[in-house]
Order: sequence, then C-alpha cells, then structure tokens
Amino acid sequence: MKIYDMLIVGGGPGGYTAALYAARAGLSVLVFEKLSAGGQMALSDRIENFPGFPEGIEGYTLAEQMQAQAERFGAQTVLAEVLALELRGNPKTAQTSEGTFYGRTVVYAAGAEPRQLGLPMEQALVGRGVSYCAACDGAFYRGKTVAVVGGGDSAAAEAMHLLPVAKKVILIHRRDTLRATKVYHAALMQAENLEFHWNSAVTELMYDGRLMGLRLKNTVTGEESSVPCDGVFISVGRKPATDLVSGQLALDQAGYIIAGENTRTEIPGVYAVGDVRGKPLRQVVTAVADGAVAVHSAQDFLAGLENTDSLPE
Amino acid sequence: MATISIDSEQFSRMLAGEKPLLVDFWAPWCVHCRRLQAAFDKVAEENADTVLAVKINIDEEMELTNAEGIEIIPTLVLYKNGKRAASVVNPGSKAAIDAFLRDELGR
Repeated sequence: MKIYDMLIVGGGPGGYTAALYAARAGLSVLVFEKLSAGGQMALSDRIENFPGFPEGIEGYTLAEQMQAQAERFGAQTVLAEVLALELRGNPKTAQTSEGTFYGRTVVYAAGAEPRQLGLPMEQALVGRGVSYCAACDGAFYRGKTVAVVGGGDSAAAEAMHLLPVAKKVILIHRRDTLRATKVYHAALMQAENLEFHWNSAVTELMYDGRLMGLRLKNTVTGEESSVPCDGVFISVGRKPATDLVSGQLALDQAGYIIAGENTRTEIPGVYAVGDVRGKPLRQVVTAVADGAVAVHSAQDFLAGLENTDSLPE
Repeated sequence: MATISIDSEQFSRMLAGEKPLLVDFWAPWCVHCRRLQAAFDKVAEENADTVLAVKINIDEEMELTNAEGIEIIPTLVLYKNGKRAASVVNPGSKAAIDAFLRDELGR
C-alpha cells in the first residue's frame, strides 16, 4: 500500500501551488482533479489581476501552466472524483472514482461553484436556456433576448459580456442598486440594449422543451410578472464545496472551513486552501498563497513539529 | 494520447463500423470543451478496446452538427449500430463520462 506524503483534493490554483511546493520539497504528492486544472479560474476569459501578466492571461491557460509546473517537479494528477475522505486516520484515506488512496497529510482545495437559484427544473434546463457562464455559452444567444440574475461584479461582468452579442439583456436584481464595483456602472447604464428589473426575484423558470421565460416577483410590492427570454445567466454568488468534509471539519456560518492563515484545520495534517477557507478575499492570488503556506504547515507536521494548538499563527 | 478530429466523411465511415462511436462535439473557443479534453482523452484510451472515441469541431462541420441536432457544446454523443443511442451535455467530471458509458454500454 503506497502512502503519499500529501493528497490534494482539487486542481485549482491553490491545489496546484500546494503540489508545486510539496513536490519541490521532495514530498510525494497526488492531486485529485475531477475534470481539468483550474477550477473556477479555468472558465475565466481573462485574468487581469494575477501579477506577472501585464496583458492578462486566459484562466484555462494559466491553469494548464500551473499544472505543468507542479508536474515538472514530480507532482502527479489523477482525474478522479473524490467520493469520501477519512481525515482523522493515520494514514488519511481518500476514496475516489479511480480507487482508494492514502496520505500522511491532506490539502483540501475543492473550491467553490456557482450558487443556484434553487428553482424546479433549473438543473434540467442547463444547456437548454439556463447557464452560469456567459463567456462559455453567450455566443449561442446572438440576436436573442437573455436575462442575467444577480447584482454583484460577476453578474455585471456577465451582462457586459452579453451586451454586444444579444439583442436585449435584462438584468434582474433583488435590490434597487447594483452591488457591483463602480467601473461597471457607467458602462451598464449607457448600454442601449440593457433593461433593468430592480427589486425582482425569479420565482419560476417557464419552459417548453427549453427555457421560454421567467416569472418574477417584485420584492417590494409583491407584484408578479412574466419576462420572455431565450436564456438566463445565473450569477448569484458561490458555494464552497465542503460536502466531503462537513461533519469532520468545523464550518463557519457561510459554510466555509474554519482555518487560520496557516491553513491548519482542527485535524492535524489537514489543511484548507483557497475558496473553501473562511477568509476576507477569494482570488487566484490568495488561493496560491494558501497553497504555499499549507505545504509549510504540512512540513512541520511531517517533521513531528506540529503540535495541534501550541504553534502561533 | 489525444483523440483524433474527424470530418463528416470519416464520420459516415466510422458510423458504419462495428465499434460503438463516441463523438465529442466541440469548438476551440469553448472553454468547457477544452476543460473536457484531458478527461475525454483518458476515457478514450481506457476504453479503446470497446469504443471508438473521436472529436468533431462544430465550426468546421456545421452541416453535420446541424444534422445531428447539436445545440450546445460540449455534447458527447454515443452511436451504436449506426444510430444515435444517447448523449450527455457538458459532463462535469471524468467519472461522469465513465458513468455515461457504463450505463449505455451496459458494463
């Protein structure tokens, strides 16, 4: 039975940075990635705030390069979905779609995924009018009417992406102002083919084989209305992927894993990295920082130095 | 090993072959399609004995894409005995592609 020094759950920027640092430190390391490197980052058209790329870089490309860099030093990737984790044991166990693996330490970097509206048929209509990514699916709506649900930066970016493509973009937001950063406001307000529906919540997806429109409810007056559209882009926040560790690791109120800047969780040898960790800013740069720090913490643990509570942050 | 890209002529020929045909309808500009690539290649390799796995670039094969009723990519379509047997849109993991094949090929 092979026991790895480190098992990493998730091949996003946090996971592959941990893999890079671990491999360079001479640790044997496996990354479990269910699809392809990058996680959410891989879906980003252009990442403009990762230092070192003055013209920006496509998220998918940056992810591929992070993976290649980690693998160059000996990290291995298994394209596997992790089904269950046993974190308290020694060694720790990961049951995956590709078999069972053992590790002395676990870096949990499973990331986050788009939050759903939670409406009936929402999942069934994905690819038939419902989307969570304008950069990916926007081109299918050339000359059509689409709605964007949400009011944050992501929703604003989705709308900006769709405006040049779609005939009309309808922005639906529960409040009466956008939460999005100011840089988006002017551009959105000036757009001729953008229509706002303020104080509105989506209550129903109307469909006939594919999405036909939305039922809305005014959050102030309670008035209901229907909006015909060919597609809806849902951008209402993100949800940390903590199902595999809930019950084993403490989560904060918003569902993120409680771990300090040293990424240590309450279980020795288990580290929370990237978007799954409770922290003030979730970005590629903070994820990669977590990855490096986790390996530093893990090295202490593997050397027998980590003493659950005694070391300061 | 990367799976091969085929055109409509090759498609017709392969459809007439004995092995079930698994086609990944994709386009280079589609990020979800690119994300699927490594997993698709791996599945193709692991199932090389029983399934013929290929890619079709929808931009280069628009007629075929329309004829096959592909509305969204990535879509994986499995053809058995020359007929479309099943399809899956944007599977989220290698495990999901494995499960799709397992269900459809009864293994």
